[in-house]
Amino acid sequence: MLAKVLLALSLVPALALALCQPDGQDAYNVRLSIKTALGANAYEWSESEQFLFRATLAFAMRQYTGQETFNVSSVIVCDETPRVSFWFVVTNPSNTATLIPKNTVEAAIRLSRNRINSAFLLSDKTLQFLGIPPTLAPPSQPSLPVWLIVFGVVMGLVTVGILALIISGFIERKKKEKTIEDEDEEEKQERIMENDISCQTLEGKNGVNNGAYTHDEDRLTQL
Amino acid sequence: MVEESRPSWENPMQFVLACVSYAVGLGNVWRFPYLCQMHGGGGFLIPYLIMLVVEGLPLFYLELAIGQHMRQGSIGAWSAINPYMGGVGIASVVVSIFLVVYYNVINAWAFWYLFHSFQGTLPWAECPLSSNFTTYVPECEKSSSTDYFWYRETLNISSSIEDHGGIQMGQALCLVLSWMVVYLCVLRGTESTGKVVYFTATFPYLVMIIYLIRGVTLHGALNGLKYMFTPKLSDLAEPKAWIDAATQILFSLGLGCGSLIAFASYNHHNNNFEKQAIVVSLINSATSIFASVVTFSIYGFKATFNYESCLDRTLQSFWIFLKRVMSAGSLQFNIDSYFSIQNTVQTEWTVFNTFFLKMQLLLINTFDLAEDSIKRDNLDDWISHLNASFPDKFATISSQIEVCDLESELDTAVEGTGLAFIVYSEAIKNMGLSQLWSVLYFSMLLMLGIGSMLGNVAAIITPLRDFAFLTRHFQKETLIGMMCLFCCLVGLSFTTRSGNYWFTIFNDYAATFSLLFIVLIEIITVCYVYGLKKFEKDIEVMIGHRPHWYWKIVWSVISPVLIIGLFIFYIADYIMGGTPTYQAWDSNLGKTVTKEHPPFAQAVIGLLLVTSMMCVPLAALVTFIKKKKEQARERKISTTAS
Repeated sequence: MLAKVLLALSLVPALALALCQPDGQDAYNVRLSIKTALGANAYEWSESEQFLFRATLAFAMRQYTGQETFNVSSVIVCDETPRVSFWFVVTNPSNTATLIPKNTVEAAIRLSRNRINSAFLLSDKTLQFLGIPPTLAPPSQPSLPVWLIVFGVVMGLVTVGILALIISGFIERKKKEKTIEDEDEEEKQERIMENDISCQTLEGKNGVNNGAYTHDEDRLTQL
Repeated sequence: MVEESRPSWENPMQFVLACVSYAVGLGNVWRFPYLCQMHGGGGFLIPYLIMLVVEGLPLFYLELAIGQHMRQGSIGAWSAINPYMGGVGIASVVVSIFLVVYYNVINAWAFWYLFHSFQGTLPWAECPLSSNFTTYVPECEKSSSTDYFWYRETLNISSSIEDHGGIQMGQALCLVLSWMVVYLCVLRGTESTGKVVYFTATFPYLVMIIYLIRGVTLHGALNGLKYMFTPKLSDLAEPKAWIDAATQILFSLGLGCGSLIAFASYNHHNNNFEKQAIVVSLINSATSIFASVVTFSIYGFKATFNYESCLDRTLQSFWIFLKRVMSAGSLQFNIDSYFSIQNTVQTEWTVFNTFFLKMQLLLINTFDLAEDSIKRDNLDDWISHLNASFPDKFATISSQIEVCDLESELDTAVEGTGLAFIVYSEAIKNMGLSQLWSVLYFSMLLMLGIGSMLGNVAAIITPLRDFAFLTRHFQKETLIGMMCLFCCLVGLSFTTRSGNYWFTIFNDYAATFSLLFIVLIEIITVCYVYGLKKFEKDIEVMIGHRPHWYWKIVWSVISPVLIIGLFIFYIADYIMGGTPTYQAWDSNLGKTVTKEHPPFAQAVIGLLLVTSMMCVPLAALVTFIKKKKEQARERKISTTAS
């Protein structure tokens, strides 16, 4: 099995040499960090793994384009390094001399990224397609923004407070007016004003201290 | 006819707390630390304290005396001092109206941030993702997540002042809430205000103490404190330092707005306001200094955090480690021997380990080596081998080192809303339990802002309620409610997309120059029109002794000269400054750019200055005309009678 694959692979380079170029216009660089991802359970990168890669990529192209003509042979790999990084291109199944444009390849990979990662037990960070950014996890959004809830609570409290103060002030005023209506002339005399200060307020205290005539510090309002 | 006696504070403590709550505001937190940093750190305290004693304290004393003696709001008080000077009171009311309209927007922002603090991760801690979930939003990436949250998600700011945009719903809702809170606090007059100030005056101190304790224990706080408090006395030779100290004292104490007159008018006639004036002014200045300590420890933490993140990202940590060990003199560049000191020098080891992992990854990726090829014991050999074999490729990665500089991180001096909402929120997101700190901080901002609002609203309401005409036809609650509604509606214009630019205009021009003018007229009126001797006697009646000769000298000579000097400076600065400019946010670049104000904005600036100042001569003119008419009428009556 392995020998057959190796044979097939050995035929490919002759044709693919011209098509697969590092830094080519339609080529992508792939980098795998297997040891970083799996540590002790890391598998060795071999030709079979390479075959699996090409197969998953062909699968991705099939999924995206809907054409079931893509095959393992459509994916050409070159410039492999011990880092486990290599370049690949995808040839057009109907015309093997031409390449599938970069955008299409990118879209196909993004569509099936999860499946490709899973095939190798890796993630977006450890199976890097240089030039295709990984999709980031969106933050969770609650249905109703939290701030509106807090706002509603505070607004409600303030409204209740305002209404309470207005209504109590209104009631107090009505009560005061009633007592003034009820009182007769005698009581009115008692409520006379002296210099804008109701005499009633003066009665409660021992008069008003005029500081000009006392030098006693204690009589002055303390801080 | 039911005559209501003038309401009064339940006890002198309420009056003092009301003054403290009014004077201690956002300026103490976001303007004073900036000035300290700009003018030589600890050395700035010298002009600041001198100005406090020579300008702030005497003027504060003066306003309290006037209010307590006249027992009326600013319009009535100044009309009583001299019938032609009623315009000073009207000017104070106009300035206060401008002030409340734009100041409450800050409370709206504080509410917005406060409500957004009740989330698992603070919304300004991370950038949101773009629509295809591959990258972050470009505007956020170019600036920072805190900048983005402020400029885009809070303000949704447009690119220039001409571009109005619509009213932002979130901002508008928060503004309405702010006005409702203010209404709740003032609608019963001193009865409600007096109780609220117990809380608004004390809560900020509680939060500042908590922040102080947390702040000085933060990693890197000492860097900020050292940076700020190192006095650079050479900066004091610059006149700008003294001018800034003088204006800061004036505006920080809230002189000229009529709020102090309003508050003092509710005092008992013999309240000892002299002692209270000294106490409140000293508390105000002490709070500024206290707030700077807190701000600079937070600054230091943020700067150190950014600096160390920079070091982490680059290979610079290695070079610093290398320098440190090489300067110890003993070892040559031999990585093996560094492993032998692993147990003894733990922090250096962590630094080196981080470097090693980075270096390993960088070399493996650049030269496509197998993952486990570079180990600690052969890193040395690899570096020399690669440097020798592929010098060009090696050169590309050594140029990756970005320069990390702690000084430049600390140098980003910020004031105003930028400090409060961007710098602080950036520091908070990196503290542990950031939601708690965020809630505490924005509640404190809210208390400071509302406390100052109460004073400014009182400055408007008290003179209005002195007008018998208004009191007869409108209940207290209705009058105050209408005023709050009017200001709220006008304030909604600050919640549009260009609202922040208008806010900055009001912040810079509405209550600066005009207040200087008002204070100057006030002091000249009291000393020279009303007469210093008469004023002395009034004070003696109230507190039992005449003011010390020091106060008299300052009132009659030193303060007016100082304020005239400030006046001249402002005018000169304006003339020489050319077209006024503003900082506009460019969403493509992710930072602010300087733009010139268009003509209509400049017209608004002019209007702001003129409307308040013109009240003084206009009111004098109106009084003059009225008096002339009365005299003419009396002459007619006397001639017809005879």
